Amino acid sequence: MILAHILTPLENLLRNVLEWLGPHGTIGLPWAWSIVALTVIVRLILVPLTVRQIHSMQNLQRHAPQMKEIQKKYKTDKKRQQEELMKFYRENNINPASSCLPLLAQFPVFISLYLVLKHFPHLPGDNLEWLGLWNITDKASAGWGPVLVAVYALSQLASSYFMSATAEKSQRIMLLVLPIVFIPFIINFKVGLILYWMTTNLWTVGQGLVTRQLMPRPAAPEKRSSRTPPKEVATAAVASEPATAPAAKPSEPRRVKRKKRGARR
Amino acid sequence: MRIALRAPAYLGLGLVHAWRWSFGLLSRGSCKYHPTCSQYALDALRQRGLVRGSILAGWRLLRCNPWSRGGVDYAHDQRLFR
Repeated sequence: MILAHILTPLENLLRNVLEWLGPHGTIGLPWAWSIVALTVIVRLILVPLTVRQIHSMQNLQRHAPQMKEIQKKYKTDKKRQQEELMKFYRENNINPASSCLPLLAQFPVFISLYLVLKHFPHLPGDNLEWLGLWNITDKASAGWGPVLVAVYALSQLASSYFMSATAEKSQRIMLLVLPIVFIPFIINFKVGLILYWMTTNLWTVGQGLVTRQLMPRPAAPEKRSSRTPPKEVATAAVASEPATAPAAKPSEPRRVKRKKRGARR
Repeated sequence: MRIALRAPAYLGLGLVHAWRWSFGLLSRGSCKYHPTCSQYALDALRQRGLVRGSILAGWRLLRCNPWSRGGVDYAHDQRLFR
């Protein structure tokens, strides 16, 4: 298959990283845990992308009412609706949250990992178990596998919940139904692959929870534009958007709390 | 003859459809461009064939990153090949 040939360098890279993490490499983790560690590494590399995405998602949420209006206005004409929304983004300087590249970037990793697991670089006698229940080179339909698939489906639901905060209702329902629809396919994958997918979902959930804690949604301030405004502008900004005044008059005790929140960003 | 010339493009079209019916389902309607990247890829492949269509689709995917602005962008409006 052509796709497999294109992915050979990535497959080799993943195999090398896995071997480095694995029981015969420098780190010396058991195989199953080295897959988890590999997932974490992939997601760490993607963190700058996700942070940027979360910022724009919050920006979108602030404009949600106007966007709902546009959606209502062009309810019957989906194409027109989409074009009007794009226009709205442009006029209001919104950067739409979702983009194809970060999602697609994970796709080759997934396929390469599938290929790596197909010819797994283990030696006879290696420990391939995870938590004593699952063998990573087994199919997920065997033994305790279905339990893992169920956990995977739950993690997928949870991560969809966080990633679809700005989506329409019908889309959200779709996103919540899909993990269940996917089960018959996923149950034929190797346990190691499901381990990867589950870890990445849990990472998404964790990221969602952390960002909710660090950046309260309703008060997300405008970025950059208000960092060092002239004094009058700053005071005006305080009047309209309380959280946008990280630099304004630290002597006033009433604003100390808000200042903290702004400074953390 | 025409079909034979078009044949390579079908390979690309097949790949895009495979994406749409697998992982693409998870990300429905989450492209910042209109039409979406996969629709753009289908249009570009149909209009320009496998090689040029793939280049156009790849370039569009690279533009569809968290730093770009998105917007309305049709395959027939491209200015890479004229």
